[in-house]
Order: sequence, then structure tokens, then C-alpha cells
Amino acid sequence: MGTLMASTEESSVVATTSLPIEHRFSPYDFNGGTVAAVSGPDYVVVAADTRLSSGYEIKSRNVTKLHALTDKCILASAGCKTDVDQLRSVLDIRGKMYQYNHRKPMNTPSVAQMLSVTLYGKRFFPYYAFNVLAGIDAQGVGAVYSYDAIGSFERTQYSAAGSGQAYVIPFLDNVIGNRNRLEEKPILTATEVVELLKDAFLSAGERDIYTGDQVEIMVVTRDGIQTQTFALKAD
Amino acid sequence: MSMFGMEPLVIGDDILDIGSRKAVDRYCGNKAQIGLSQDLLMGRPGAFDVPNVKDPALYCSSHFRSTCGTGDAGQEIKFAKGTTTLAFKFNGGIIVSVDSRATQGNYISSQTVKKVIEMNPYLLGTMAGGAADCSYWERRLNLQCRMYELRNGRRITVAAASKLLAGTMASYRGYGLSMGTMITGWDETGPQLYYVDDDGTRLKGKMFSVGSGSTFAYGVLDNYYREDLTLEEAIDLGKRAIYHATHRDAASGGINNLYHVTKDGWVKIHAIDVNDMHYEFEEEKRNEMSS
Repeated sequence: MGTLMASTEESSVVATTSLPIEHRFSPYDFNGGTVAAVSGPDYVVVAADTRLSSGYEIKSRNVTKLHALTDKCILASAGCKTDVDQLRSVLDIRGKMYQYNHRKPMNTPSVAQMLSVTLYGKRFFPYYAFNVLAGIDAQGVGAVYSYDAIGSFERTQYSAAGSGQAYVIPFLDNVIGNRNRLEEKPILTATEVVELLKDAFLSAGERDIYTGDQVEIMVVTRDGIQTQTFALKAD
Repeated sequence: MSMFGMEPLVIGDDILDIGSRKAVDRYCGNKAQIGLSQDLLMGRPGAFDVPNVKDPALYCSSHFRSTCGTGDAGQEIKFAKGTTTLAFKFNGGIIVSVDSRATQGNYISSQTVKKVIEMNPYLLGTMAGGAADCSYWERRLNLQCRMYELRNGRRITVAAASKLLAGTMASYRGYGLSMGTMITGWDETGPQLYYVDDDGTRLKGKMFSVGSGSTFAYGVLDNYYREDLTLEEAIDLGKRAIYHATHRDAASGGINNLYHVTKDGWVKIHAIDVNDMHYEFEEEKRNEMSS
């Protein structure tokens, strides 16, 4: 494609090459952060830290990773902020169109499927967004869906995504999923789950450089969404 | 309808057509109407966005692979991958047996993935390779099968269904899709089993195993397979083959989901954790050794 010719005026050391020069197309940046969600019989709790990083820098300590798509359904996304913002816009528009056409908001399992096809629509140039969808389904039961970057999804009882995923999930596996425990699996209330998630994020914040500053926690029940924040270490 | 692009923007009922077929028709039908129609498109419906590079296929197949093993080690984004699946035909129908682990790089993203995709009551598809690729295209196949049924008044054959999928895969060849699936069902020609690949390969056969643990499963299957297995023996074989694959392949594990395809459709036989199977087989070995 291009050739660099040595300048004849100056005796500069410039390589002469007839090979193509590749300018790497690298459109992604990883902005870090962790999100997690736990569902219960009539509630779902979503939590996300509020730190935005780029490389070794913290760009902001107060950026939300949670986005309410309907009044019963929240999308929590970690990854590349610009892709997350675009994904939210696209989902909002599609959600609105559904509402105008059907005279009711989308229910959570439908949002889950829509998110999956929206992500797959960019299979060949993915949204760098690791999503967890949390909401109340049509029967009033809490639902959590975990996704990979191109839309493979599964309904689970709990999930986590982002840079601190590997610190949070084993903890949730043990306490929420009752793995490797001999006692009977307890039925937890929303308040207990909130405390557990705070513990999970405290631990993740200790060991993951991209997680910290603050945790935003939302509890979704049939009556709506309640938000609270919890401070983490700022280091 | 007014000629858009010549007049000021009028919000009419066409705003509801955003992203729909009508928007496509307006875009393709009359280029003069592009002014507004382009806003309605939201990308090109029915087409995938590709990166703005000289050779998108090469870029995608080198940066966005969901390939087996550590093939995606250098990638920024790792996708969920599915692993050991198997299916075989015998005199009593078809047994489909799969594991349930999904990995993203070295991380186990799920131990409860449904790798048998229940497309409809008489067609099953399995998932191996890229999880999103398999579930998206098999869901698409389901839609195509249903349209066939509605248009033709009868069920689609397994041969035709697998051919639709193979054709789709062939048209995306070179873009880095990863899908190794088995399409199986019972149609008017009897029980059928087809293997369909992400490069468009389509093979009819009696026994297939797909995924990173397939070699281990083949070892067990080839050893004990007979056409005249009874149903219990066939279920046991399917169970054992998956157990041995999960035992030796790091990327396979979780729960063994086993299905039986009969004349009246498929039936889910069991969902057993492979860890429990380990202790069951160990005890069996101990009893055999001592007798």
C-alpha cells in the first residue's frame, strides 16, 4: 500500500519498505467495573460499582452502570462505556416502540430475548458490554439473566459480570447457591441479599483495581424500584 | 404518501415503521425517498454491521472468534463456548446426550447451559462451539421450520431443516462463526440425524459427537455402540460417554442432559450432575473388581 521513502535533503533514518503498513483498528476500551444481581421469590437485587477507569487511570468515581429499561427491569452493564451507552439507547428505542405498538411495556423475559438479538445483531462488530438483566417476570418472581458479549443468555438465580466477576461469583455460589455447603438452602429476604451483595463488593474492591468508590444497589419488587448507595474504598 | 426529503419532516404513522420491513422497502424501493427513510432504518435491517476495515471477514475471523480451546487467547472479548455433545441412532430411536458447561477463556461462565435446543416438539438441535451462534441460528431455524409448516401444511423433514441451517452457515463462511450442531428428529422417513458445521458441512449419520470433549466420548461410544441396544442400554451409553468426556476435558462438565427422540417427538430422560455419576461409577468399579 504505502511506501516510506528516505528523504534526500536530510540524512534521516527512515525505513524504506514496500510492505503494507497496518494501522490497527482497535475500537474498544475497557472501562472496568463489576455488576451483580440476585433474584428471589418476589424481588430482585442488582448492584454495580460506580468507578469508570481507562488503563490505570480512574476517569470518574460516580458513573452509573445500572439502567432501568422498564419499571420492572434493570440492565446492568460493564465493559466499554460508549458501547454500553449505545446499547442502552437502542434498547430504549425498541422498548418504546413496543410500548406504542402494544399499549403496554415489555415484560422481563421479552426484554431478555430482545437484548439477546440486539447483541447478536452486532455479531461481527460486537458491543463490548457484559450484561446482566434483572427484573420481575410476568408471574411476579425475580428473574436474572446473564449474557456474553454476543447475546448468548441464560436465566439464572444470580449472576455477576465485569472485571470483578471472578471474585464475586464464587462468593455468591457459596452463599446464594449453597454450593459445597451441608446446611439446607435458606430462603433469603431482599434486605439480607442487599447485605450479602455489599460484602461481595467489599471483597471485590479489595482485590480488583477497577472496582471501588461506591456501590449502587437497586431492589426491584412488584411495587417498583428502590435505590441505595454504599461507599467503598477509593484506592 | 408524500415525497420525503423535499418537504419538511412530518411525523406520520411511518414513525412506527422504524426498523421494520416497510422501512426497508422504502429505502430500496425509491432512492429519492432516502431523506427520511434512512433515519427509519436504524442500521440496515436484515444485515449485520461489520467493522469499517478493508477486509471485514478477515478482521472478524481473527478478532471475534468463539473458537475452541485457547484459540481466542489474544482476543479482547471472549465469547461463551459450548463443549461435549453427542447423538446416536439405534433401533429404538435417537439418544441425544450433552454436558452443560460454558467457558469464556479460562473462566467457567455457566454450569447450567441448555445445550439441547428444543426447537419444536419433534426437532432437536444441539449446541457446540459458540453459544450465541448456536442459539441464535437454531432459533432462526425454528422460525424457518414454522414458516414451512404454515406455508405447506405439513412438518418439515429433518433433511430439509438441516439443509436450511447448512446453507445459512455457508453464506457466512469466513466470518469466524463457530457452530457444530446436530439436527435430529423423527419425520416420515424415520429417525434422522444430521451434523451441521459452521463452514456449511452437512453430514447424515448414525452417530456423532461434537465439541472439545468429543474424542473422549467417541472412545466410549465406539466401544459399546450396537444398533440393537435396548433403551436402557442406550441411555446408559449416552450417560457414560458424556461422563468420560467431562472427566477428562476441562472445558466440559456440569450436568448431563439426555433426550430420547421417538416417533411421537422427543422426551427428556434425565438431568444428572456428572459429579454424582462419578461416585456411582466408582462404586460400580469397586463392586466389579471385588466380584
